[in-house]
Amino acid sequence: MKTVAWFMILWLVLAYARVQLWKGREMQKLALAQAVKTRTTPAPRGIIFDRNSNKLVDNRRALHLVIQYEDLPRDTGQIEALAAALQTDPDQLKRRVAAIRQAAGNRMLVLQDNLDDGAVARAEVLRARFPFLSIEVAPRRVYLGEDLAGHALGYVGEVTPEELIKEPGRYQLGEIIGRTGFEAARNDRLRGVDGQRRILVDYLGREVATYGMQEAKPGRSVYLTLDAGLQTTLKEAFGQNQGAGVVLDLRDGGVLALYSSPSYDPNVFLNRLTQEQVKTYWENPDRPMLNRVTQGRYPPGSTYKLLVALAALEKGIITPNTTFTCNGHKSFYGRDFRCDAVHGTLNLVQAIAQSCDIYFYELGARLDVDDIYNTAKKYGLTEATGIDLPHEAVSRIPSREWKRRVKKEKWYAGETISVAIGQGANSLTPIALARFYAMIATHGKLLTPHLLYGVRQENGGEIDLFQPPPPRDTGLAPGIWSTLDEGLYEVVHSGTARESAVPGVTIAGKTGTSQVTSFVDKAHYASLSKKLRDNALFAGYAPRENPQIAFAVVAENAGFGASSAAPIVKKLVQYWFIDRVKKPLPPPGAKLPDAFRLDLEPGADEEPR
Amino acid sequence: MRERLRFLDSGLLLPMVLLVIMGTLTVYSAGRGTIQSTLWLKQTLWTGLGFLALAAVAAVSPLRIFRSAFPLYILGILSLAAVLVAGHRIGGAQRWLILGHMTWQPSELMKWLTLLFVTHRLGTRPLASVGGWDLAGACALVFFPMLLVLKQPDLGMAISFLPILLMIPLLKGLKARWVLAALVGVSLLGAFSWQKVLKPYQKQRVMTFLDPGADLQGKGYQINQSRIAIGAGGMFGQGFTSGSQTQLNFLPVKTTDFVFSVWAEERGFLGVLLALGLFGAVIMRILDTARVAKTASETYFCVGAAGIFALHLFVNVGMVIGLLPNKGIVLPFFSAGGSSTLSYFLGLGVVMSVRYRAKTK
Repeated sequence: MKTVAWFMILWLVLAYARVQLWKGREMQKLALAQAVKTRTTPAPRGIIFDRNSNKLVDNRRALHLVIQYEDLPRDTGQIEALAAALQTDPDQLKRRVAAIRQAAGNRMLVLQDNLDDGAVARAEVLRARFPFLSIEVAPRRVYLGEDLAGHALGYVGEVTPEELIKEPGRYQLGEIIGRTGFEAARNDRLRGVDGQRRILVDYLGREVATYGMQEAKPGRSVYLTLDAGLQTTLKEAFGQNQGAGVVLDLRDGGVLALYSSPSYDPNVFLNRLTQEQVKTYWENPDRPMLNRVTQGRYPPGSTYKLLVALAALEKGIITPNTTFTCNGHKSFYGRDFRCDAVHGTLNLVQAIAQSCDIYFYELGARLDVDDIYNTAKKYGLTEATGIDLPHEAVSRIPSREWKRRVKKEKWYAGETISVAIGQGANSLTPIALARFYAMIATHGKLLTPHLLYGVRQENGGEIDLFQPPPPRDTGLAPGIWSTLDEGLYEVVHSGTARESAVPGVTIAGKTGTSQVTSFVDKAHYASLSKKLRDNALFAGYAPRENPQIAFAVVAENAGFGASSAAPIVKKLVQYWFIDRVKKPLPPPGAKLPDAFRLDLEPGADEEPR
Repeated sequence: MRERLRFLDSGLLLPMVLLVIMGTLTVYSAGRGTIQSTLWLKQTLWTGLGFLALAAVAAVSPLRIFRSAFPLYILGILSLAAVLVAGHRIGGAQRWLILGHMTWQPSELMKWLTLLFVTHRLGTRPLASVGGWDLAGACALVFFPMLLVLKQPDLGMAISFLPILLMIPLLKGLKARWVLAALVGVSLLGAFSWQKVLKPYQKQRVMTFLDPGADLQGKGYQINQSRIAIGAGGMFGQGFTSGSQTQLNFLPVKTTDFVFSVWAEERGFLGVLLALGLFGAVIMRILDTARVAKTASETYFCVGAAGIFALHLFVNVGMVIGLLPNKGIVLPFFSAGGSSTLSYFLGLGVVMSVRYRAKTK
């Protein structure tokens, strides 16, 4: 009997020897694998300020219901059960899990973000059923201005599985990246470096202890060239009207204000939207998601006349003193072309001031379309402006080559007549239009419009100012420049935009009126009265003697340019030069003086929230 | 003092004390940071009570003990009946009686009372006059409380009644060695086929037959975590209160059924050897007592007691490492629990009483 008992014990000993000695290492690895997890601490993105340290975009802590990469369930039954519990589409969840499995990384799949108290309680209940779920703290963007500068700022969103697969290694699973606007264009400046921590979890995946911690490095604070006050003025000037407006700083091309109406509130896109909600934004006939400043191409109307004048002067077809006579209409190539009024005999400056079409028809009849195209090319209108916003559209300037390539037809000389007054195939983005007028204001310098002003060094140090590319000199002849400048001055002084004059500030600019734009819903416009189908434009610079800003404003379906776009500019100029707190702007390249830090204590803006 | 306590068998007491110390430390480690953090204190109290009970029983002559076997058996049956009628339910099983501030599991003590009564009945007859009916009666005496226990339901506990029947073949003159060899052979074969031969659905059928409503998936998880814990112990163990499986609660029911996995994880293979050696010493000492016992009843009782210990050791230690199906069965001296602790000490008290009489008369 004793032998038998010893034999039984020996058998147990052998069994334990096998598991503990033979398989010990393997079992130790299994034990470690389920107890020690690596968690990523998402780094907050850089806080965004305007040029005067007014906070535009902030971060705050939010709770998210997530599945950590290493906890992703393999059992499809569990995914289905989870989808049922979350009341989401099981197939979609399965696809997300599968896609995320393919992409390497050790972040997480966010199921519900920005949990409120009730949602946290519900999530905790879910966690009891699905132990692979966890609740993580992660920073969340807050766009303080709401729809103040939606198109300029853009918004962020989680990197999509497709993006993870397309560019392996660039992003991490669950990373929040800029989706559009400045957030997307300068994503690399705004993103921080994620921290990592190794934690001990218990059998329910609850964190028990942390060891091995690498702090997340928040993205650096970024300062925009925008001026919140001017931006607000621009937004309010538009009100319910649709259109686009942009103001450039003539010293370096910094964008002082950029507004596309209707705007959107980026905060909306931080939430997981339903298909319905997505539709109301993306399929809205008013196109709120389109950044009209950089992506909307408008027929420039009479604002284009400056380019035509420039081409004619450079070609030597006219001198500043050349006169034509306007009888209200004239026949070219067998077709009758009309003018708004009977202007009589005028020179170039008067023609610009009165926006006389006949004068420019005469130029169109003497110019080849390729002359206009080449002038446009020389003065930067055929290229993207290079503004730091994604998906900028390039203005379309017709040429013989363009028509052959796109329309498969030859160019008819009669078409040049329409082009000469800014109708026809040409269409410009407001940002390109503003840059062209900035070129005139600066005696021929092509600036690069940009939103990035500077980036604060780590730990609240100095601000490293962004150095935009140096302006390109186009070689605009001083004699030609003075004629154009005078013409633009007369527009506001004695011409079409007289009512927009601001006492004390001399504005130089050109009005324009153009027909239906290329990107709008035609059916929608057909229902409008004819007058409202026209877009109003105003582009120029101020003050004339010492230009500091250039601008371009398009008011859609607003009728005559002088009566609707120019008043918007008047408000901008009024604010910028008169109403604004009388503080001089720091020169480009200089440090931001403390005087520009309006309502913040020193260093307070560095606190990641 | 030494003279006063001379009825205590130091050869049995020493491995017992060591095992109890090891067990209590393990319960302490397993309970750390959970609602069972003070369970080791409670267990220490029960152990102290157990030693007192053991001493009290050991001081009594075995003759007097066996004389009260019948009323005790009846009392035991009544307590089991009380459990079925008015027992306390925990997790679908009705196994406990509430007595004041504590719960009492009568089946633990009933195991020993049954052993006592059956060995008493068979041992007091001349061997020649023991017939088939007597054996059948003995079986009935064992099966009746077993049935009551199965009804609770408590399969593990019911199984632990079986060693009582071990002495029946001994009566018929069979060599115990062969009987045990056959028994061990059958269980080895069963364990082997359980692990390697039977298909999962076949296992499931067996388990469903034996234990309807058992959560097989959950049990599989438990065994898996237990094997990881044991394996992670390696040669020297993770150290006292340092086993990740134990401390992070990956290990289930770690103060009772899976307490030995805690010991194996934190003390390693060397600790396992020590514990198995001490259990071996306890069983050997009981069997040695069976050899020197003065009456047949006493011999039978000791063999049965050794069988009960061996079964618990084998089934529990084999179960936590996955050799045997996952059936709730406790490990003496390690698993926390008042009823079982007190019952084991009472049983061993009888064994010591037997040895003292054998040595002194």
